[in-house]
Amino acid sequence: MYDLIIIGSGPAGYVSAIRAGQMGLKTAIIEKNVIGGMCLNWGCIPSKAIMESAKLFNKISKDSGRFGVEGIDKKALSFNWDKAIKRSDGIVKKLTTGVGFLLKKNGIEIVEGEAKILSNNSILVNNRTMEAKNIMISTGSKSPEIKSSIKGIVIEPKEAFKSRQLGNNIVVVGETPVAIELAQAFNMIGKKASIVVPTENMMPFADKYIVKQILTKLKKDRIKIYFNFNLNNLEGIYSDGKLKLGEEEIVCDMIFNAKRRKAIIPESDIEIKLDKDGYIDVDENCQTNVPNIYAVGDVNGKSYYAHIGSAQGMHVVNYIQGIKQKLDLKKYPLNMYTVPEASQIGLTEDEIKAQGYDYKISEFPMSANGKALTEGTMEGFVRILSENKYGEVLGVQIMAPNATDMIAEAAAYMELEATVYDVAQTVHAHPTISEVFMEAGFEAVGGAIHK
Amino acid sequence: MKYIFKFPDIGEGLDEGTIVEWQIKKGQTINVGDSLVTMETDKVVTDIPSPKDGVISATFGKVGETINVGDALVEIEIEEIEGKTAVEENNKNEKVKEEGAGVVGTLEIAGNSAILAASSEGESENKKNNNKPKKALATPVARAMAKDLDIDINKVTGSGPAGRVMKDDILNFSKEKPNVSSNSLLSSTNFSDNMEIEVEPMTQIRKTIAKNMTQSKHNAAHMTIFEEVEVSELDRIRKKFKQEFTEKGSKLTYLAFVVKATAMALKQFKSLNAEMDIEKGNMIYKKYYNIGIAVDTDKGLMVPVIRNADRLSIFEISNKISEYSEKARNGQITMEDMKDGTFTITSYGSIGGIFAVPVINYPQAGILGVGRILKQPIVKNDELAVGLVMPLSLSVDHRIADGGETARFINKIMSYLSEPVSLAMG
Repeated sequence: MYDLIIIGSGPAGYVSAIRAGQMGLKTAIIEKNVIGGMCLNWGCIPSKAIMESAKLFNKISKDSGRFGVEGIDKKALSFNWDKAIKRSDGIVKKLTTGVGFLLKKNGIEIVEGEAKILSNNSILVNNRTMEAKNIMISTGSKSPEIKSSIKGIVIEPKEAFKSRQLGNNIVVVGETPVAIELAQAFNMIGKKASIVVPTENMMPFADKYIVKQILTKLKKDRIKIYFNFNLNNLEGIYSDGKLKLGEEEIVCDMIFNAKRRKAIIPESDIEIKLDKDGYIDVDENCQTNVPNIYAVGDVNGKSYYAHIGSAQGMHVVNYIQGIKQKLDLKKYPLNMYTVPEASQIGLTEDEIKAQGYDYKISEFPMSANGKALTEGTMEGFVRILSENKYGEVLGVQIMAPNATDMIAEAAAYMELEATVYDVAQTVHAHPTISEVFMEAGFEAVGGAIHK
Repeated sequence: MKYIFKFPDIGEGLDEGTIVEWQIKKGQTINVGDSLVTMETDKVVTDIPSPKDGVISATFGKVGETINVGDALVEIEIEEIEGKTAVEENNKNEKVKEEGAGVVGTLEIAGNSAILAASSEGESENKKNNNKPKKALATPVARAMAKDLDIDINKVTGSGPAGRVMKDDILNFSKEKPNVSSNSLLSSTNFSDNMEIEVEPMTQIRKTIAKNMTQSKHNAAHMTIFEEVEVSELDRIRKKFKQEFTEKGSKLTYLAFVVKATAMALKQFKSLNAEMDIEKGNMIYKKYYNIGIAVDTDKGLMVPVIRNADRLSIFEISNKISEYSEKARNGQITMEDMKDGTFTITSYGSIGGIFAVPVINYPQAGILGVGRILKQPIVKNDELAVGLVMPLSLSVDHRIADGGETARFINKIMSYLSEPVSLAMG
């Protein structure tokens, strides 16, 4: 009898397994594909590796002269996708090997195969029945498929970062940050990229202010966005390299699928309740309708972020050990690997308004930050949304080249329930981009120095 | 190198103490464990030992001054290397503020000279709460909110990591318990010049007694029952063994029997050995029987505890009582001696008084008062006889113990005392 069996070894599953092992739980993890899941193998890591190649290419081709680097023959510059992929593969290999090692080190049994839940405490895998006191489902998610009879036109997320001949006209489908990220990466390496959005809003979870700024940036990048086209099937709308979107027809060599992801539900003999959108229905502790079965990460639909999946998983490991804490998803950063990057945490302005707070917004622009200017960045800002009575930081939004790293400071504010006074009193080193935090803090309690 | 030794937290919940006597002088060489200073804290007078070998280079605070836990006490020159860091710390703490003649001076550490409104709470929020660590771990917002809502943050149970008090905890606390501030009730007489009075600062012990008594009367629903028990047989036994005990260096008193009888009765009436946790909605029944003995000292009332009294013989209890009397006389009762009592006995009869209404040693459930033993006419076998009568007054927290239970409990104690042989029967 295992204390815990985890189905799926993505960042929600494998992190939980390691934590469970550290806490002395007899733990097994079942994986039908490869350790690390979407994040490590096909998602977070490869996409960031490719983005970095694209940014470097862009900087050399656009900025080298301005920065005083001469002798580059811009006409001879070209982007080798396959080489960039090779670098990415190397990184992925290193990381997955690392995760495998950590699982073994912590005494986790790794079972290769597809799991089927038999009862509230038994699982069938490779004709073997495994019994467990607790079961954690962390099977992740996938984007709804875009059907096409023409082979090689649609690239599903798992296939995105493979070596291939890239077409010149690329359409990315989805309302997600990943869709924007892909479009911008292709754009930077000289492709013509467009985004087709199934809904009327881009990134519905994000604060409207961030969305507005990003849309402005996309316009500047000449990335065209087509709203309200839900591409499920290319039948009848795609032929001869042209994609028909209503009245309009756009040139399209390949389509990358980055649609909002849907849950991957494991096979089960007992009923595990789903919500109306098909995700596993869980309570505030990620518990399903079956008391000792938990669902964490993308599969419960609460978020599509690796770190949030991990946090949920660790919460469950604590929970089954009797350590009861509050899982507050609003305290986790939501990163957007756009160019420039964007990130937010806490409540959005709309949510703050809806909750009836007396609040204020303190903003400081990157264009007034010395370090940002030396790095050649003018775009971006930091916004602190705080409540007026105690000065509590309710939300933080950042747009900056390294916003996804900078948000960690705001995450600490949220975790510690800090006030704008604490932000303003924390001395930030000069020259750094992080100074914008202190300035926004000053702005909140009296007035920014450099504004 | 200079080492600044700060007034350490020497017991649960202490946060200040008064300097009674310096045991060392500047320039004196000391070893680890040597007494540096005698401090009077909440309930004890205790010596603070040195943590280091070295030479005293400075002492902070004068006799009679109250200093807070964490304030510098002495500066010790250790080894032979000069260092500047200690000196800086020294300067910081040396901003001594004298508050005028007749008032006990306080050592104050300079506050953060913030240009901006500080979000950190005032020190006043850290004031005593004997049951919890001195300073609650709390978030800035929780602190600001507690201050705003006039909530003692140290009384709030934190739900965050490591028990950190979060915003929601304060909100829940303020909803559950409307904070009753009693400060407005604490006014004293306005004296005119022709009234001769003497003003003396309260000792720490007096402050603690005042706080504990108020807390008890404020929280517990006191109910008292009076009884008389005929103890001729007990008296006979006591007289018989008294000499034997004296030879073994112990003094056999009635109190030893009362302690034993009470401990044994408590084992049978669990609600009298209980306390109530209103916040969590729990009754806590203690499975150990530690009997506190109220002792009159010239500094004030103290209550050292006889641990596991149910398992001790009369001789062992007598020894413990003798030991505590001795310690009380010499002002040596420690915090450790007074910890963890589950029930208290006050034997005022040895001084005077037949019946009294004892105040419960909160949060315990009851206190037994033993009055002066008197020769009285009693009816024995339908005839008038001379009896030896011990008056008993039992106060209980009526929230915890019901009347019937209380009466049965005192009956049990009485049956043990009137038939002392039953104490040996278990």
